[in-house]
Amino acid sequence: MKDLGTIRVEHHYSQSPARVWRALTEPSLVARWWAPGDIRAEVGHRFEMDMGPWGKQPCEVLTVEPERLFRYRFAEPTLNTIITWELALEGTGTRLILTHEGFDLDSPLGQRAFTGMKPGWPGILAKIATVLDE
Amino acid sequence: MFAALANPIRREILTHLRRGPRKAGDLAGRFDLGRPAVSEHLQVLRKARLVREEPRGRERYYHLDPRPLAQVEKWLAAFARYWQERLGDLQQLLDEEDSK
Repeated sequence: MKDLGTIRVEHHYSQSPARVWRALTEPSLVARWWAPGDIRAEVGHRFEMDMGPWGKQPCEVLTVEPERLFRYRFAEPTLNTIITWELALEGTGTRLILTHEGFDLDSPLGQRAFTGMKPGWPGILAKIATVLDE
Repeated sequence: MFAALANPIRREILTHLRRGPRKAGDLAGRFDLGRPAVSEHLQVLRKARLVREEPRGRERYYHLDPRPLAQVEKWLAAFARYWQERLGDLQQLLDEEDSK
């Protein structure tokens, strides 16, 4: 129960950390696998990610270590979580570790998840996935 | 709710309540804590809706309510699934860029 409120997802890519880093930090690339937004690898940079039906989510960059670590506050008014991307060379490719932490049932989205108020998270996520798949 | 669960004594209390309802006094004996300390932990758990109180005569029994935990797990699982899919999309993007 130690890591409550934290999600950790890993993936191996055959591309180099430099390539993966670009895909995580350049808006034109980020828009193609996640969402549009004026993201930039610069500490203190404030930006918005357009999460489709869920709305534009304000973010703020907290840590930048090129090709190693990218960390930002995500969706402060609704979810108030922190997303961390860690990159490590693995063979000739990259091990990417995503940590999404700070989930709190007292946040507005958490409250909705808890009370089962519509639309709940899975519904919203399905919608986002649909939008992104188009 | 995560704050309620962050405390190791509160987690132990929940584990203990899994076996069945308990009186506050029994819990205090079990954890070698004063009654006020145990009451305080129980109040935190009650506010987080993880525990409910049942008066029986002059005693109060505490029950575990597992529903919020299941709800949280469902909520987090939805996010985990969402990210798995995004990381898959990222793979596709990188492969597309390779073939350019």
